[in-house]
Amino acid sequence: MPPRPVSQATHSRVPLPVIRPPGAVDEGGFLDACTRCAECVSACPHDAIHLAPDRFRVARGTPIIDPAIQPCLMCEDTPCVSACPTGALLPTQPRAIASATIQTWTCLAHQGGICFACVEQCPVPGAITMNSGKPEIDPAVCTGCGVCHYVCPAPENAVRIMPVPDRPTSKESS
Amino acid sequence: MQDRRSFMKSAAMTAATALASGRARGVSLPVLDSEIAWNKAPCRFCGTGCHVQVGVENGRIVAIAGDQLAEVNKGLLCVKGYHVGSILYGEDRLTQPLKRVGDAHVPISWEEAIDIIARRIMLAPERFAMYGSGQWTIPEGFACQKFMKGGLSNNHIDPNARLCMASAVTGFLATYGVDEPAGCYDDLDNCDVLIFWGNNAAEMHPVLFSRVIDRRSRGEVVRLIDLGTRRTRTTEFSDEYLNFVPHTDLAIANGIAHLLIANDAYDKNFVENYCNFRAPTEPQSLFGQPITFEQYKGEIARYTPEYVEEVSGVPADKTRMLADLFANSDLRITSLWCMGMNQHTAGTGINCLVHGIHLLSGHFGRPGDAPTSLTGQPSACGTVREVGTLAHALPGGRLVANNEHRAQCERFWNLPEERINPEPGYHTVKMWERFCTPGAEGGDIDTIWVQVTNPGQTLPNLRKLFDAKEGLDDKFLIVSDVYPTATTRLADLILPSAMWVEKNGVFGNSERRTQQWFKMVDPPAEARDDCWQVIAVARRLMDLGHQGMRDKDGEFIFQMRDGEGEEVRAWEWEHYYDTNVDRALFEEYRPFTRLKHKDLAPYDEYVTKRGMRWPVVEQDDGSWRETRFRFAGFDDPYVDRGKDFQFYHSTTKDDRAQIWFFPYSPPPEVPDEDYPLWLCTGRVLEHWHSGSMTRRVPQLARAVPRGYVELHPQDAAALSIANGEPVVVESRRGSIELPAWIEGRGRPPAGSVFVPFFDETRLINEVTLEAHDPISKQPDYKKCAVRIRKAVGP
Repeated sequence: MPPRPVSQATHSRVPLPVIRPPGAVDEGGFLDACTRCAECVSACPHDAIHLAPDRFRVARGTPIIDPAIQPCLMCEDTPCVSACPTGALLPTQPRAIASATIQTWTCLAHQGGICFACVEQCPVPGAITMNSGKPEIDPAVCTGCGVCHYVCPAPENAVRIMPVPDRPTSKESS
Repeated sequence: MQDRRSFMKSAAMTAATALASGRARGVSLPVLDSEIAWNKAPCRFCGTGCHVQVGVENGRIVAIAGDQLAEVNKGLLCVKGYHVGSILYGEDRLTQPLKRVGDAHVPISWEEAIDIIARRIMLAPERFAMYGSGQWTIPEGFACQKFMKGGLSNNHIDPNARLCMASAVTGFLATYGVDEPAGCYDDLDNCDVLIFWGNNAAEMHPVLFSRVIDRRSRGEVVRLIDLGTRRTRTTEFSDEYLNFVPHTDLAIANGIAHLLIANDAYDKNFVENYCNFRAPTEPQSLFGQPITFEQYKGEIARYTPEYVEEVSGVPADKTRMLADLFANSDLRITSLWCMGMNQHTAGTGINCLVHGIHLLSGHFGRPGDAPTSLTGQPSACGTVREVGTLAHALPGGRLVANNEHRAQCERFWNLPEERINPEPGYHTVKMWERFCTPGAEGGDIDTIWVQVTNPGQTLPNLRKLFDAKEGLDDKFLIVSDVYPTATTRLADLILPSAMWVEKNGVFGNSERRTQQWFKMVDPPAEARDDCWQVIAVARRLMDLGHQGMRDKDGEFIFQMRDGEGEEVRAWEWEHYYDTNVDRALFEEYRPFTRLKHKDLAPYDEYVTKRGMRWPVVEQDDGSWRETRFRFAGFDDPYVDRGKDFQFYHSTTKDDRAQIWFFPYSPPPEVPDEDYPLWLCTGRVLEHWHSGSMTRRVPQLARAVPRGYVELHPQDAAALSIANGEPVVVESRRGSIELPAWIEGRGRPPAGSVFVPFFDETRLINEVTLEAHDPISKQPDYKKCAVRIRKAVGP
């Protein structure tokens, strides 16, 4: 399909809700700083980072994470951050990339079944705990890596991942 | 993007996730597109026997929902069940017959494939064997039985269920004289105490487990006691976890029995009226020898709580606690077990002992009081145990070695006298041992036809019992399956099969429930029903002049007629569905079921129901009534009027059950200096058995992508093994490499490791031991000695 012309109206700099790699600065600052060099994409050992396709409009070509395809595994040494040459990703920024919530109405465990895939595979200790056989997410600990979404075997995925809405600017975090 | 239709479908599945119970939120299926046709079927996976509603549109399954009308699951499904529709649609379905040419498998026609099998059998019918499973439907198993035993006069037919529940069978036979549980799942709704004997029901029978946990969430008190050799997800829900040294469950059971007698707390009325005592003989048999109560008391006297603690590691107080529970007749106690007690070199023994403590204490036959074995396959009971697809058995609980039983089968089948061979055939381990031995060295099985199972992954000690076939020119392996597996790897001929709702079927679940379904979608390309394959080979054999394929009137043994009495050429695929072959075979089978009072209703009765539990007996008004509690006067129609209990198939012919003594003795292989750890193998929630179906469902594969070895932190630390690091697990028989999982789903105690067997890329059965129970011939996958080391990087 040929690329659709981008109208001025949609070319505005309204930040789009996308999941960025760990350490991303605020969305406005990110779009300014990111040169679309894809160094973070090649640095990711798990192929979790890819470049946003055209439909992401102003964010096209910038690095995003889609946990339904491949979640972030929250590497201790954050090679993506180290690889960023322009300060779009900074070690001083929070690591959290998103927040996960369990939609209890589709979660097998919450609906009276037996399941523990998310709590077992979560790479962040304490982010998901089991309470009487039902998983609960601690939003203060969860980094939104998306592993729980990726592994959720419910017929309708029970984990919703929402990008962090208001990341601090590089000044705020340093 | 989600269009309206896909939203409606997903809404159906979502609605179906709610447990229909007191706590359910009153969800019901939304109004659905009329183009989706819904129909019932039992789930393809385990022996629980949940019913699903299958939604079909344009010849494809598009939705699965739990069946709200099913008593077993009341609308709930487990994580596998919700995805059961996807198992048909793996990318690598087998779609045409394949013949080995050199190292390659090349496509051939069905006609050629059927001819190859028939000619191979004609060469030496007595050196041919069939290996099937508890996933054969009842009509399929019945057709194979008739083909082998009634047609070829060959008893070399055995199922993978030999590896799965053979010890449960021998336990029931030795105790009650007739197979299968007396109780049913209703016991789970009524018990006050539920004891898991080496049983991880939370993962292996999750819907039954949920049924119990749901009672708790409604405020009922159910005490769960987990007796195990490793902490599991079941442990997390249990009130007590009692860890025991592998194999010492016999000591614990004897310890309970000892205390019941020592404390004078056994049920004297029940024992005096309904029980005898028995002890094993050498060599062991199902009948053993009679002993008196005094002798029994003497034998178990040494199993004091302190001795039990010394042997098993279970604290003496805990054995006393268990005995006190059994001593309390106000409580209702249900015992559940599955592979932990069955895959056991003393499997018959421990099965008998657990029945024994229920009988001794009178915790039997009241709703909630039951010793109940669970099965792992959807028709392990219906097909293997009832149709009797075992090397020593004939349909309906009959034995090949019994003259009268053979004669009965010959009459039912209209066969000439003495058609059926009186010698039992080879059981599983022996069959594969003979197949993997060159003919010149005594390997007298040279062709095996495998249907609905994956022995290349699931036999124990694979190198010896399966891999050794490779390169033996006089051996020929035929495999009917739906996907390439570890077994098709060595196959000389591969037949693509129809699966689940691509064909008609009848299964029998763990609680004696017989369940029927209809074909809903076509199998892909040239895949065809297993039952058709057998009938086609039989017909080809008849055409080649094999007299066994004719009955005593010269008619084909699988002669079918349609409603008008016209012959149906069922051996021709294009005519196979001209009649309901399943119905014909089922009706032919029904008269066999009455000998052991396992009466089945007519096929058509099952069409409208979500199964019925046998014996199903016709009432005066023409309706058919199922039986929930066997041998109990208030429910079982075969108990004489006025009697509370009657074990009407008693081995001692006095309507009494047998309380056995079996001593504890150590297993054949125990950890030593060279191999210091216990290895236990088993399943995981998300994958079913060898994973050939579930590993092709993306959601299940993502949840548990690969095999692993569970380690205790102490054992891992001793070898500096970190979580996820590759570890070599090695026994005297073989070794494999697996990632370590420390403090994972299951938590083995120090000195033991656990490996699941679903991953065909990491075959743990290269490591396991083929030692088996002397009576049931079931191997022990739950214990052998291994050592581990950190794998050296590539």
